[in-house]
Amino acid sequence: MIWEFLQPMAQWLGNSSLGLWLGQSTDRIAWLFVIHLFGLTLLMGPTLVLGVRLLGIGFRSRKLAELARDTVIFRMAGLVLMLLSGSLIFTGGAVSYFEGEWFRRKMALLIVALVFNFTLFRKVTNAEDGRYSPLVSRLTGLVTLFLWFGVAVAGRAIAFS
Amino acid sequence: MCQAIEQSTISSVVRDSAFPYIEGAHVLALSLSIGTVMWFDLRLLGAAMRTRPVWEVFEDVKPWMFAGFGIMFSTGALLFAAHATKAYSNGYFQAKLALLMLAGVNAAVYHLTIDRRRSEWGKAPIPPGPARVVGLVSLLLWFSVIAVGRIFAYSL
Repeated sequence: MIWEFLQPMAQWLGNSSLGLWLGQSTDRIAWLFVIHLFGLTLLMGPTLVLGVRLLGIGFRSRKLAELARDTVIFRMAGLVLMLLSGSLIFTGGAVSYFEGEWFRRKMALLIVALVFNFTLFRKVTNAEDGRYSPLVSRLTGLVTLFLWFGVAVAGRAIAFS
Repeated sequence: MCQAIEQSTISSVVRDSAFPYIEGAHVLALSLSIGTVMWFDLRLLGAAMRTRPVWEVFEDVKPWMFAGFGIMFSTGALLFAAHATKAYSNGYFQAKLALLMLAGVNAAVYHLTIDRRRSEWGKAPIPPGPARVVGLVSLLLWFSVIAVGRIFAYSL
């Protein structure tokens, strides 16, 4: 239902002059993908570090809140790069992307990942060590890794479907 | 030799069915490999984790970094096997190999020289010039590897 509601917007975006300009050149899209991957490295590297720290299987010598604070600029920079380049890549092929099953799965997962990131994940990673039980920490780590890697896997699947 | 690789069973299995999964793993392992080596580079630059001794940051990232590069090289080799002839003669692929070698040389130079004296400077928030140069060169090389790798995939 929500997809039907959004469909005209995808249509408009894809047929806008920006959409047509982006869509007509493979080079432009390729460079946007390069930026998208820079963003992925910046966001997913530290997110993975925090995830394994939450799971208690790595970086145990570091305080969680310290790791979160050290990495937050890079994670946010990565996220901004990914959202900007991703929006432009989408604009360059909006109508066909929009119809894709994996694209829709990716967007749904992305929204859940973003909400989770800025609520529970942020709360748990910014807290003093020991404030949350190991179970809560582990679950937060597991869900974070699952969500972000899910977004990435779905993204890769778009290219092959 | 590339033709022989391409005619192997592994090569045809990758080409015909496993390619998307292997390429997916190759891209996702970016977070483990470059995503973690980047932390050490930023520490060498004095841009992150300044209060932590350099060797501690290295010990933290080491297992993840090695695991990441292990996945990168094995999946990369399989992807190469699938299209060996075309890849071998492709300028972007050649550039990628050259950049990888430079990154290796850069890391080797660091570990054989500057790192030997780490007890003298490793606790400084901002490491001395040569260490910062190594960190910056490493970051630039790895991001260039991503760039040529991505463009290469388009040019096949």
